[in-house]
Amino acid sequence: MGISIAFRRAFSDLRQHFATQIMTTMVVTLSILILAFFALLYFNLQHLVERFGSELGLVVFMDENTPEERIPELYQKLAGLAGVEKARYISSEEAFARLQTYLHDEKEVLEGVSPRLLPPSFEIQINRAVFQLDRIRELADRLIKWPEVSKVQYGQEWIDRFEVFSKLLRDVVAVSGILLLCTSAFVVANTIKLTVYARQEELKIMRLVGATNTFIQGPFLIQAVIQGLIGSCLAIAVVFVCFEYMKDLVAVSELLRGVEVFFLPWPFVSSVIGSSVVLCFSGTALAMRRFLRL
Amino acid sequence: MEPPIIRMEGVSKRFPPDNQAFSDVNLEIEKGEFVFLTGPSGSGKSTLLRLMFCAQRPSSGNIWIEGVDLSTLTNSQVPYLRRKIGVIFQDFKLLPNHTVFDNVVLSLEVIGLKREQADRRVKQVLAGVGLGEKTRRYPPQLSGGEQQRVAIARAVVNRPPIILADEPTGNLDRERTDEVMVLMEELNARGATIIFATHNDRLYSNTHRRVIKLSKGKLEF
Ligand SMILES: Nc1ncnc2c1ncn2[C@@H]1O[C@H](COP(=O)(O)OP(=O)(O)OP(=O)(O)O)[C@@H](O)[C@H]1O
Ligand SMILES: [Mg+2]
Repeated sequence: MGISIAFRRAFSDLRQHFATQIMTTMVVTLSILILAFFALLYFNLQHLVERFGSELGLVVFMDENTPEERIPELYQKLAGLAGVEKARYISSEEAFARLQTYLHDEKEVLEGVSPRLLPPSFEIQINRAVFQLDRIRELADRLIKWPEVSKVQYGQEWIDRFEVFSKLLRDVVAVSGILLLCTSAFVVANTIKLTVYARQEELKIMRLVGATNTFIQGPFLIQAVIQGLIGSCLAIAVVFVCFEYMKDLVAVSELLRGVEVFFLPWPFVSSVIGSSVVLCFSGTALAMRRFLRL
Repeated sequence: MEPPIIRMEGVSKRFPPDNQAFSDVNLEIEKGEFVFLTGPSGSGKSTLLRLMFCAQRPSSGNIWIEGVDLSTLTNSQVPYLRRKIGVIFQDFKLLPNHTVFDNVVLSLEVIGLKREQADRRVKQVLAGVGLGEKTRRYPPQLSGGEQQRVAIARAVVNRPPIILADEPTGNLDRERTDEVMVLMEELNARGATIIFATHNDRLYSNTHRRVIKLSKGKLEF
């Protein structure tokens, strides 16, 4: 029956109790703002890790005794692996030449040393699209089992350390997110409780003339949804504006040259907005429960 | 003969820990009756009325309204009972920050009446109680008598078969009181069953109406 009546009542309530409504919405906005900033930081660090991690690539050292004629076959095998973007063969001679360039003034130390001393190797570049930290490790573990491979090198330590950091940050984001959402649900529920408390007389009168609980609750729930929606969208908008501003700063910064920054992924944004709406809705329903007895 | 519209059998109300408002009340009210309910202050008149619209439940005994045993009603069914009963109070119980019109239309909104139909009916009822010109005012801008007429309009606009009035004239002077009485007589003439609680014996001393009296925790006829 009363969807249109519920909406009409909700909007006239909104007008009549504007200040309280704004206050509730601001609480939602602030909590989500903090959460969104943490998340933005996390997602960008994550991007950074993956980007540098993928630039590191892998070096696969061959056994010294691997016969020269097996190289093309191994090359094919490596290049065909999932996640491998490019593979380049570095022969013992080339490695030796590199070492010489590297040492340039002191290359005498290499005199009399056979170029064969250095093992041949492959340099592997990772496909960024499929890159994940776990995948690099997996690939390395797989390669080391090949009989021709003596050693696989990648930025293990660097990646591991960064991974720990990024996992920590993720936990911080998750925990603070949950805490903030709970706090805002709590504060919103309390604000609503105050609003409802202030209007107890009105609710009593509504019940007196035969209003069902749905009729009484409807407008409050509609307001809660609007608050959750506006509050979270406002927070995301603020983060977006700040993000655009910081992006420009990063773009002109010498130190951060080449660093790309990303906005929060849309699935994350929509789930934040969704949970905000759900929390405001259930906070209101909960706050009203005790006022709906006879 | 039709069954009584309101029936009470052995109804008692006790407020914990040891306040017995009344006990063993037996009462039958026929459809279309106009009954005065009297008794000294604190004798339980308001409480008796509150039991009838389920604002409180009896400690023991049974109440039937239009043949429905109230003890079988769940909380979610109570609103539907309330729509059959218009209630009027001494202190009006209007919403001060809603207009006269909005106060009255509330009774029709809760039953989901269409807007135009509700508009028409509210205006008609407000004109009937002499407030046709003041629908846009707020209750604090009205006199006590006018406010009580708004409350009456709200109680009757959805055409309930039963009207419970709890000292509706308690705050009004003689003339306003008589205006309210005329309105109540009109409603009764149109078929509403009315229970009218009052201290004011002037209202019922010269009437042919039934007068029931609560005193010392019992109902006297
Ligand atoms: N909610 C309550 N809790 C405890 N006692 C109550 C409650 N409501 C009423 N009472 C008691 O029940 C008795 C009857 O009260 P009630 O208000 O029904 O009397 P009344 O006849 O309407 O009085 P008045 O003429 O002054 O309005 C009183 O003793 C009152 O103190
Ligand atoms: Mg009373």
